Amino acid sequence: MLTHFSAVLLFALFASVVFGITQRSEPKMMVRFGAYCFVLFVGSVIVASWLMWAVKH
Amino acid sequence: MATDTQRITQRIPGERSSAPALALILGWLIPGAGHVLQGKWVRGLLIFVSVLGMFLVGLGLQGKIYTPNTGDVLDILGFIGQLGLGLLYALTRVFGWGASSVTITLGDYGTKFLVVGGLLNIIAAVDAHSLANGRKAS
Repeated sequence: MLTHFSAVLLFALFASVVFGITQRSEPKMMVRFGAYCFVLFVGSVIVASWLMWAVKH
Repeated sequence: MATDTQRITQRIPGERSSAPALALILGWLIPGAGHVLQGKWVRGLLIFVSVLGMFLVGLGLQGKIYTPNTGDVLDILGFIGQLGLGLLYALTRVFGWGASSVTITLGDYGTKFLVVGGLLNIIAAVDAHSLANGRKAS
């Protein structure tokens, strides 16, 4: 069974791959944009998680 | 400076190449097939793996499969999103895969995986259409 975080990683990976391919024309830019989306996805989840932790404590 | 061969093979924006509608419909039915039709094998394979991955994780997390005619606006939106999965959605209906309602907490995540997988496939199919009609250069 997936943990919440591994589900986030998979979601970010799959979505970033499609975003990279569809939103840019050149392969190099596709990789860069895909990586950028992945970092934003995972980073925003980590930030939101710490915010929720701070609200609770 | 481009050679003659490059000039000939380079697609002119707005120029019709090969059946854009076919790329759109095929890309919707089978994730990545629209790109494969345009000769973009690697992109097609990556899209196929990504959409299939979203689909399988969604089913694995016991995500809900939406059906039309429930009358609930959110259900209709979810149905439209999952319809984007093309033949994968048809398989869930034919074989009864997925949950009819969310019974576990992770099932809600699974439902999101299935809906977003469908939406990503629509984006990919439209991208294949843009490649076919020359709106997207490469």
